[in-house]
Amino acid sequence: MDIRICYLYPEMMNIYGDRGNVTALVRRCRWRGIPVDVEGLGLSEKVKPDRYDIFFMGGGQDREQVLVCHDLLENKGDAIRREIERGAAALVICGGYQLFGKYYRPFDGEKLPGINVFDAYTVAGENRMIGNVVAKSALGGRFGTVVGFENHSGKTYLGKESAPLGMVTVGSGNNGEDRTEGAVHLGAVGTYLHGSLLPKNPGLADFLIERGLARRGERSSLKPLDDTLEWRAHREAVARARKTH
Amino acid sequence: MGTKGRSALLIGKALGSASRILRFGGGSTLPGRVARKIDPAFVRSMVDGLPLGCVLITGTNGKTTTTTLLASILEGAGITPVHNRTGANLMAGLASALIRDSDLAGTLTGRIGLFEVDEAALPDAVADTSPRLVLINNLFRDQLDRYGELDTLASRMKEAISTLERDATVALNADDPLVASVGRGLDQAVVYYGIDTDSCSSRLMQHAADSKHCSECGSPLSYEYHLFGHLGRYSCTKCGLARPEAQVAATELGVMGLEGTRCTISHPGGSISLFIPLPGLYNVYNVLAAFAVGTALEIDVEIIGHAVEKFTAAFGRVEKVRVGDRDLLMILAKNPAGMGEVLRTLAGERVWKNILLALNDNIADGRDVSWIWDVDLEMLSGQLREVVCSGIRAWDMALRVKYAELGQGSLVTEPDLERALDIGLEAVEPGDTLFVIPTYTAMLELRKILTERGLVTPFWEG
Ligand SMILES: [Zn+2]
Repeated sequence: MDIRICYLYPEMMNIYGDRGNVTALVRRCRWRGIPVDVEGLGLSEKVKPDRYDIFFMGGGQDREQVLVCHDLLENKGDAIRREIERGAAALVICGGYQLFGKYYRPFDGEKLPGINVFDAYTVAGENRMIGNVVAKSALGGRFGTVVGFENHSGKTYLGKESAPLGMVTVGSGNNGEDRTEGAVHLGAVGTYLHGSLLPKNPGLADFLIERGLARRGERSSLKPLDDTLEWRAHREAVARARKTH
Repeated sequence: MGTKGRSALLIGKALGSASRILRFGGGSTLPGRVARKIDPAFVRSMVDGLPLGCVLITGTNGKTTTTTLLASILEGAGITPVHNRTGANLMAGLASALIRDSDLAGTLTGRIGLFEVDEAALPDAVADTSPRLVLINNLFRDQLDRYGELDTLASRMKEAISTLERDATVALNADDPLVASVGRGLDQAVVYYGIDTDSCSSRLMQHAADSKHCSECGSPLSYEYHLFGHLGRYSCTKCGLARPEAQVAATELGVMGLEGTRCTISHPGGSISLFIPLPGLYNVYNVLAAFAVGTALEIDVEIIGHAVEKFTAAFGRVEKVRVGDRDLLMILAKNPAGMGEVLRTLAGERVWKNILLALNDNIADGRDVSWIWDVDLEMLSGQLREVVCSGIRAWDMALRVKYAELGQGSLVTEPDLERALDIGLEAVEPGDTLFVIPTYTAMLELRKILTERGLVTPFWEG
């Protein structure tokens, strides 16, 4: 059974090396002998039912984000939400994460509605939150942490229906106030951690792959990989994050 | 110059010689920082003493190379510039250059100010120097944590440029849609430069491409061809906006690997064929930029061409060092577009390669290292003998290399730069070359190591 990844707006939403996450998913499937396909889906294209096992979307610049927001609502939002309810996995980062919530409220102008995967809303903030982040997370794998880099001014607040991806021990996270970082709903993960999250958080990468396989009807556990280098990079990044704050 | 300015100058001079003697970093910013604190109008009062005014060079990639090339062009034309040649390109760096190149009375040794300026510092530099010419070479994603978004950066630059005197000139890269958009509707004279041949183009946009939408109407741009990142021949699918006609243009190109590039450049007075002794298309743009400025300053084209042909790169940008019976070629790469272009040049050399990638995440490098995932390391697949990953973020770099699946070559991770350098050199066959690709502060550190070994001279003496 092969896994099919849907890369949403690969041309427009790829601002901080986000495609490294897709590279990580693809390699970690192939290294285990799991066939995998990546399909990019751009403006005005529709999400075919039952076609995708993992959705991915990165962050973009403001102008791109507005275009994508309208297109998501018009052409893809309902279908993506339905696929996630049926077991598809998703990883959405930064701008992608915001658009998967209820809405984004800028300083001036109208609210940008989201596609309601996460019970979360975002408001424009005064200050950019920039820097290394470490969060304690149940999806972090061996060390129970996820590590990455954040760069956002939007402040996201979670409602009751969505759990955070983790609690920050270094950095700002969702809003710099309540220590939460990211959101999880079923197999969908939203986060502000870009910095190509998955290569050095293999536990999170494998959570998504496992979900994707389950969606294909395969429930066996994943073959372990030699992740010595991944975990070393993980630990060094955590140490660097603690040092730079 | 007022009393305040004079004491700023004297204290700055004292600090400059003290730091050169004590060798804490060549004194490239401290004197200027202190002088501007004592007299905030210091730069303005100093540049008043330049009979030929000021030229500012900015853009993400190629600032130092272009400015250094222009300095030798100006010298060739008998015009000594005051130049921030150490690459310190914030206001303190400009002030330090003015302190260094003046006597105790504040009389400058040069006749024209030639300054490379950080993109974000351009508005301040324009306000303080009232330049006769501003050049923007390109705008790539580089340390977004510092600059915010490219669109915002470009509109700030345009705002600053529109305040220039009416007889000022603006030189812009026509092939970069965002840079070219700065020239639309300006009252000042605009000189566009670019590449008018598709002989080095690719039909696919490389991954590290930034500007894909029309600056006028937001619709996607369509490209006839791409040259380097988002640079190429573009037009808007909706409003008809197109790449402007270039007055200074490369009409023929012959890439000769790491040796350099043969090219023919047309300019308002005719055309000239020459050899650029620096590798990569990015250096063709640097040369075109220097031609655009040089011809706008009415310097003889033969003088410009001569300076290009005998040009050696600004320190660390491209530097070849002999280490015993091996060579070391160091090429600075500070963002995805720059590193992509460096790798593309290397990939064009069909030999087995030993590479040292040195990735730091200090403020000057950009704290965020995720950009390495936007670089197509994959293009070196099957060409590598050994890759050594080093620097503060050595393990992130190693992971990038692992996921690029580069084939049979071995991968070594050693965060310590000095040890990494020895490991890298050790693996090179006698007569062969170790290619060293560092980020900015890793380059400075590596240079320091090579200086201590007596292999290169410190840049503040150069
Ligand atoms: Zn347009």
